[in-house]
Amino acid sequence: MTTPESESPLTLKGFADSFFYGSRSNLDFKFLADLADTETADFFEGLLRELGRTLNDGDAARLLDHARSWQRRAYGAHLDSKAAFAYDDVPFSILATPLAETRVALVTSSGHFVAGDDPKPFGVGQMTQAEAEARIGEFIRAEPTLSRIPVDTPADQLRVRHGGYPIDAASIDHNVTLPLRAMRELQHDGIIGELAADAYSFVGATSQLKLRERVAPLWADELHAAQVDAVLLVPV
Amino acid sequence: MGHVQRVFEAAGIPTVGINIAAFAHVPARMGVSRALITDHPMGRPLGAPGDAVRQRDVVAAALELLTSTAGQTIVSFPHPYRTAAAHPSA
Repeated sequence: MTTPESESPLTLKGFADSFFYGSRSNLDFKFLADLADTETADFFEGLLRELGRTLNDGDAARLLDHARSWQRRAYGAHLDSKAAFAYDDVPFSILATPLAETRVALVTSSGHFVAGDDPKPFGVGQMTQAEAEARIGEFIRAEPTLSRIPVDTPADQLRVRHGGYPIDAASIDHNVTLPLRAMRELQHDGIIGELAADAYSFVGATSQLKLRERVAPLWADELHAAQVDAVLLVPV
Repeated sequence: MGHVQRVFEAAGIPTVGINIAAFAHVPARMGVSRALITDHPMGRPLGAPGDAVRQRDVVAAALELLTSTAGQTIVSFPHPYRTAAAHPSA
């Protein structure tokens, strides 16, 4: 996807591209590959300006703002134009019971699974995060596997692997993309009637057509069988 | 995930999704039923690692949208991203 920098002089474009599954792969900032050179320059100029200010007062909030505002700008302006899927209709179901009487399931595209239940993408056991990133092109053509995660699974038994988004936060605290703790608390406090016994996770970087036509309908059947009334979805 | 949401809704299962601001344009474009948009960075849609209070607040706000009967409902979570380190009480 990127030109090997060792074979040619480093250019600004080559530098930016290397963050997108290249030699500097960094999923927090892979959007750099979608920026024009002038935007890339603006990103780094602004980053260094804010970093300099942070040297004075230690207030890193401006760095958080910088990262978030550039993610918004890059994905809003650039990826939207590549979007393959757009729909005019809105399938919509109405909740039949009050929330406090509803059985809710959690479904996330976070790439979590329980230790000992590795979905083994492409038959590979214990695939590393680095390999998942390197094989992202295969993931987005393949059918996703649904991992079932009992909602009382201890945190130290959870694993996460996903070649499409930065998993470091989810590795520190699974609740940032698999919010089991919040769901258990809301069940305990009676906000929801019941948390379904299993949560579900898959790798969202996957074949969208296979997901739409074949896999998601099977998952809907499974949720019906589990008498799930409503679903909280966490796309990553 | 937009496709999952559409398929579940069509199968009679009410859904709500939590989307980050970088992808705020996706729910409307894909015609999903209900979405809460958080101004959080990629990979941290519920909040920062260790910020249990924010994570719970986001989930509760999203679940509240499940009660919507008015057709497509897209709402922005009103609070900016923060780190747990900056909010020790979290």
